[in-house]
Amino acid sequence: MNLTNLARLRDEDLAGQASTAPARALMESIVSEERAPAGRRLRVAPARRTRRALALGGVAVGLGVAVAIGVGLPGGPATRYANAAVSVERATDYFSVTVTDPAADPGRFEEAFRAVGLDVTVKRIPVPPDEVGRLVGPVVPEGFRGPGSIGVQGVEPCAGAFCAKVWLPARYSGRVVFGIGRAAAPGEPYADDVVDPSSAEALDGYRSHGRTVAEVRDELRRRKLKVGYRLWWTLPNGSFFDQRVTADRIEDGWVVEGSRHSSFDTVDLYVVPGPEAGRAPNPMTVYEAEPHWYDQTD
Amino acid sequence: MGADPHGRFVDVYERAYEPILGYVLRRCRDPEDAADVVAETFTVAWRRIDELPEGDEARLWLYGVARRVLANHRRGELRREQRTEALREHLASLPALTHTRSPEEDFSPVGRVFRSLPDGDRELLSLVAWERLDTRQLATALGISRNAVRIRLYRARRRFARALATAGVDHPHAAMLEGSSL
Repeated sequence: MNLTNLARLRDEDLAGQASTAPARALMESIVSEERAPAGRRLRVAPARRTRRALALGGVAVGLGVAVAIGVGLPGGPATRYANAAVSVERATDYFSVTVTDPAADPGRFEEAFRAVGLDVTVKRIPVPPDEVGRLVGPVVPEGFRGPGSIGVQGVEPCAGAFCAKVWLPARYSGRVVFGIGRAAAPGEPYADDVVDPSSAEALDGYRSHGRTVAEVRDELRRRKLKVGYRLWWTLPNGSFFDQRVTADRIEDGWVVEGSRHSSFDTVDLYVVPGPEAGRAPNPMTVYEAEPHWYDQTD
Repeated sequence: MGADPHGRFVDVYERAYEPILGYVLRRCRDPEDAADVVAETFTVAWRRIDELPEGDEARLWLYGVARRVLANHRRGELRREQRTEALREHLASLPALTHTRSPEEDFSPVGRVFRSLPDGDRELLSLVAWERLDTRQLATALGISRNAVRIRLYRARRRFARALATAGVDHPHAAMLEGSSL
């Protein structure tokens, strides 16, 4: 007896199903649908990054020294560039980024990205202690326009503070912003970031998911934590977004989807709106109404 | 990067259709509902093809989409689509499902205990035992760090073991995850 036996079938039982007539018909039906234009990215990320201890890696070079390798054409971008803060290497269809000094001046990161053909802005952003050094983004505030795709994905093992693959078209002409995580000061709000609260739990040993707002708020008070609220809207197409709201928009009996520290001493509850909340607002309106770290001046 | 969206989608569909269908069928009581969940999952993939990761990461990404589509389905928000009619009929007649129980119909002692676990624990253990994901893949599919995966897995298995003991299930290896080192 083991858990595997509880599954009603295994993938092997479905061999050949992808080529059946109904499966092919469904595929044809889906691709016949016009894709929505690639607009501004909502709160979607390929993967959250992993915590990583600081380690001095082999790519670190001397302070103030930068190394560019493999210039393809005279004056063209390098294929690899490294300085004391970061190394960036162009692969076939992505860039490998290794952050070695997350505390370095953002200009050192911009210098390295620019050397390989990526004209981006880098900002240092407040994050929880276990996310210091993480590369956040790329964010295209005016909306990404293809071709190509954008995204970042953490890579392990990592000989630095943080390693990632970055997808971003070289010489993309729009404004592109990356964040580099720095430790937030006590009480300082963490930078707004993508999150899937369906799997997020802020409290050690306590599950907020599925409980009422009143229950979870009592637990937060018991732990002497402040509470913030976000309505967690899900759209019929499966996408989701959240909306920061004040306490008066929340009913005690509504159900909490997840919880997440928004600062050292504050936990945001992601609350599923009850029927009395009405229809979901336009996600773009919500998005534009909230301040975002990548729009703020340092 | 660079592939045309149509070709890219066809490639992803052909590679991921069976594992995603398996994921959904293992969690849906009604194979007819599964057709709509699968259709919605791949429709989301088509609309967001620019965000789809490369290689096998696409499958993990799709597990995440399917998980959310299923959650909507359980809230009764799934639409019955005309275009899935043929697939619904096809899945309902699948020989692999003819003599099997849906998860809700498994009244074995271990099945009962498993169903009593919190949703998050059950999904995590299922992804290991049924989809055979390792720590890195779990982290990608769930959008959390590997460290968080390890902690949650440890806690989920501990809660499962306690629940089995409380239910008097004398199967010391009941929580074993076949083919997994986790």
